[in-house]
Amino acid sequence: MHRKTIVAAALLAACGAAHADDEGPKIKLSGYGTIGEAHSDNRDADYLVDSFKPNGPGFTRAWNADTDSRLGLQASAELSPRLSAVLQVISQQRYDGSYRPAIEWANVKYSPIPDLSLRAGRIVLPVFMVTDSRRVGYANPWVRPPVELYSMVPVTSSDGVDASYRMTLSPTTSDTLEVTGGRSDAHFPPSQGLGTGTAEVRNIFAVANTLESGFATARLNYGQARLTIPEYRVFEDAFRQFGPAGAAIAERYGVDNKLVKFVGAGVSYDPGPWFAMAEWAQFDTHSIIGKKSAWYVSAGHRWNKFTPYATYAKLNGLSNTTDPGIPLAGLPPPIAAAAGQLNAVLNSQLSVLPSQSTVSVGVRWDLLRSAALKLQYDRVALGSGSHGVFGNIQPGFQPGSTVHLISATFDFVF
Amino acid sequence: MTKRLLFQLIAALAASISLAAGAEDVVAVVSSKSPIVALNSEQVADIFLGKTTRFPDGSAAIPIDQNEDSPDRDRFYAQYTGKSPAQVKAHWSKLIFTGRGQPPRQVANGAEAKRAVAQDPHAIAYIDNRLVDSSVRVLTGQ
Repeated sequence: MHRKTIVAAALLAACGAAHADDEGPKIKLSGYGTIGEAHSDNRDADYLVDSFKPNGPGFTRAWNADTDSRLGLQASAELSPRLSAVLQVISQQRYDGSYRPAIEWANVKYSPIPDLSLRAGRIVLPVFMVTDSRRVGYANPWVRPPVELYSMVPVTSSDGVDASYRMTLSPTTSDTLEVTGGRSDAHFPPSQGLGTGTAEVRNIFAVANTLESGFATARLNYGQARLTIPEYRVFEDAFRQFGPAGAAIAERYGVDNKLVKFVGAGVSYDPGPWFAMAEWAQFDTHSIIGKKSAWYVSAGHRWNKFTPYATYAKLNGLSNTTDPGIPLAGLPPPIAAAAGQLNAVLNSQLSVLPSQSTVSVGVRWDLLRSAALKLQYDRVALGSGSHGVFGNIQPGFQPGSTVHLISATFDFVF
Repeated sequence: MTKRLLFQLIAALAASISLAAGAEDVVAVVSSKSPIVALNSEQVADIFLGKTTRFPDGSAAIPIDQNEDSPDRDRFYAQYTGKSPAQVKAHWSKLIFTGRGQPPRQVANGAEAKRAVAQDPHAIAYIDNRLVDSSVRVLTGQ
């Protein structure tokens, strides 16, 4: 309810701006989009670019247009020199497979002094270096941001407030500190093998610091939140029936108001003719979702309208992928059988902790002033015994195998 | 045959020299009423890329851009920011679609940019240096 109030307030402010329009052209409409097609040579699983995707190239269809295609529309309104509002609606494949438009951002921004801005409403969740523009293909060199890192935190927005302060340290150096507080609800599809569910993210607190000096940018991030996935309660309750040992497992692996923590760091250098960037992050959920870290390095060279690039990305599962579960010794046979089944469920969930690495090479061709065509090849090597980021796993799937992907996108802005 | 090749070479060389000279033709200007006299190319770039909204003395800086059909535009961004037209567009896409900023107001050509900047002591524009007159001041490097 609270969330809806914030969104409604932002919308109202935007409508107010429409009225203010008589006094000058203060409303701007803009948009972005991607038409994409991705192919996987492995028909026994779907390549999932994030955990909110119900399917991807592979098992569902060898060629999949839903992976990268999207359309975003935005209205920005300047209400006064200090007050502005933005509303962005995005249509892309959702957890249920539909393209029902969703409000990506809806917020009002107030700048009491020139270098300080305060926002309220639905705002970007500052997690990674290109978090702000991860949906805007045209703004990025790649077909999509490196999946190893960017799939770790698929939540892109938060309903709440943020404050951003920019300090000018020298004529060419500035530092921007951003603090965000809010909450978010995200639906995920059954493609992960966990069934459909909702991730309730509460008490989000995130800090991002961006230092820019000349062509160089360095960014540090920290974030924490309380995560609840109500669908897991059935497992937790089941374990709690088995005394203290079961309760300890429910406590350790449950996803009920769990503190999740995120740390990240990134650097980029872009003098114009070429660019290089690298990012690292670690995500700990203190639950069955586990602990992961990921990093990537990427570089490209711009030759007139062509920008060939290469990326190496790695995702490591850091937490245990097995657990002895409830000790069966001494339990009466029927109870031991039930406990054994629960232990098996637990271990099958733990085993999906992803680990994989990808080598990507691609080229961006700026064929029009506001549109670019990209072609990318990915060689995804799954960690030993791991499904990586793949989902909708079929019986013939070989964990630890290598998968080859080809993707093409047409990105535009208007 | 050799003579013709030589002629072509010289012609190509001459063309590239005049292109190089042309690339230096765009200058950053403020109103002659503005107190600003010096601004280096990084500072000019920061204002036009929305990285700052103020001059070094703390006063408001209002950049006036030229539209995408103007030949001055690509030369200005190449010279002052090192960015191609597509890179400038990508840069603004990042800011626009997070509500962090809007690109500068655009005018049709250098003559209009000069007229706009001459009237506003807070404005900054870039024009072909052949358009420079007493209504504007060319910003020196330092």
